[in-house]
Amino acid sequence: MNGIWYYVERDMVKWVRGRVAVISMLVMPAAWLLFVGLALPVRFTDNYIDFITPGILVMTILASSLNGGALLMFDKILGFLNKFLALPTPRESILFGKIAFITIRSVIQATIILAIALLIGATLRSPVQYALTYLILILFGILFSAFATTLALYVGDHDSYAAVNTMISMPLFFTSSALMPYDVMPPWLRAIAVANPLSYAIDAVRAVNAGTVPAIQIAALTGLGIVVLLLCTRIFRRMTV
Amino acid sequence: MNAIEANGLTRYYGSLCAVDHLDLAVNNEIFALLGPNGSGKTTTVLMLTTLLHITEGTASVCGFDVLTQGSEVRRRLSYVPQDMAVDIKLTGRENVLFFAHLYGIPRPRDKTDEVLAVMDLSDRADDLIRTYSGGMRRRLELAQALVHEPAVLFLDEPTIGLDVAARRKIWEHIGKLRKSGMTIFVTTHYMDEADQYCDRVGIISKGRTVATGTPGELKARLMKDIIMVTVAGPFAAPDVPGVALLTQSGDGATFTAENGKEALPLLLNALARNGTNVRSVSLREPTLDDVFLHAVGTPDDSGAFDYQRFRTMLRRRK
Repeated sequence: MNGIWYYVERDMVKWVRGRVAVISMLVMPAAWLLFVGLALPVRFTDNYIDFITPGILVMTILASSLNGGALLMFDKILGFLNKFLALPTPRESILFGKIAFITIRSVIQATIILAIALLIGATLRSPVQYALTYLILILFGILFSAFATTLALYVGDHDSYAAVNTMISMPLFFTSSALMPYDVMPPWLRAIAVANPLSYAIDAVRAVNAGTVPAIQIAALTGLGIVVLLLCTRIFRRMTV
Repeated sequence: MNAIEANGLTRYYGSLCAVDHLDLAVNNEIFALLGPNGSGKTTTVLMLTTLLHITEGTASVCGFDVLTQGSEVRRRLSYVPQDMAVDIKLTGRENVLFFAHLYGIPRPRDKTDEVLAVMDLSDRADDLIRTYSGGMRRRLELAQALVHEPAVLFLDEPTIGLDVAARRKIWEHIGKLRKSGMTIFVTTHYMDEADQYCDRVGIISKGRTVATGTPGELKARLMKDIIMVTVAGPFAAPDVPGVALLTQSGDGATFTAENGKEALPLLLNALARNGTNVRSVSLREPTLDDVFLHAVGTPDDSGAFDYQRFRTMLRRRK
């Protein structure tokens, strides 16, 4: 599977040379962090930045993954995919390369958001906490970039995908535990939030902050990730002969 | 063993038959698949390059079955689709090096320099593709395709959208590759290019081959010369021995004749006797266009255009 790295390298160079896109995707999560994180008058905690940072980190990964989902679809529309599929390189490395690139890119963006959060008052101390936070973010990134890439390939054109993207990203975010703890949620929202995969990742990062190891959430994200990856590989094989 | 072989190659898109029991045998030559838009050229290439499932029949490249030995087939071919897909934010060298790495060839950097030189792109190799002209982009795609020294090269409409000079240059390069022993399979709807640069052509219409041979053979199959006549007023086809009506349009007609110079006065006399007012007449040698029109006939526009079917076909082809 040595083709994966070269597919990642191609997308990486194209992304960095895009300049505007490098910054623009950070504006939204940074705005949430500053304008909601610093300004919202909440009563359930005295350090709302610390509370909301995990939610914003996961949101950054989510937005970046859904955005990156369109990449393989564009490769298909523009004729690159057919060129790649005619190569002797294993065909799955196209898909895995894309998932790897989107995950790496989203983690880089999350790092910048984390740096801003730390600057304005969030706290994260030990190296173990950092390592665990990154593990959770990477697992979540793989899960959603695989999902988004396959979804976009299935939808087929970018107008429809943009619509699907907006349709799922905001509801997913607002029905997660990103903005408030479960005990202040109305019961109907709590029921949805508990089942939301965003909540697994957010709760896990919060648990790391609190000094515990969220084994259950990490296991759940890993399990879900493996299932989604297998499913995506199957769909990718079927859609590309 | 032929480099490319197909027996009864067939592809359906739903109920639409895009390629209908096509037989091909191509070896050590430039072979052009000619046909009007939607005749099944691209579908044929996609099947031969393992990018599309075969509904019926078999095909092989270098002796390997495209259906069951896909990865062996892909090791031996290069495919350049008509979309002109090169990364505009990358330089020429980066685009080629990317493919050299994916092919996993030894000494990718040296090979990249070599193929860029072959395609006359060395002096622009480090410029971004966004500054390249259409012809240069196409040559860059050829460089990408050559980097692993394929035995068979598939080019889908290699000169589409290029100006005359750029086209000639592309064909010169294709000719050089052919001399180095490569088998080249081209699709095109430019008759003159097929006539001038290809060893053999196959004309397909509605997914079926209607004629195969060297351009010379095909032209010889028609009679020797072409006579074109424009008329004013009513036109009635005359009966002259050794002259046959080829096509007829509103104000003119095309005939073929065994010996044009001798047939010309006879034809004009016959037309005059019919009461046809001849305004101009010309005599020329047949081109592949005439062969094509003869083989395919005038485009059939009688059936209603089935938009839904057309959409389905386009979507599946991608």
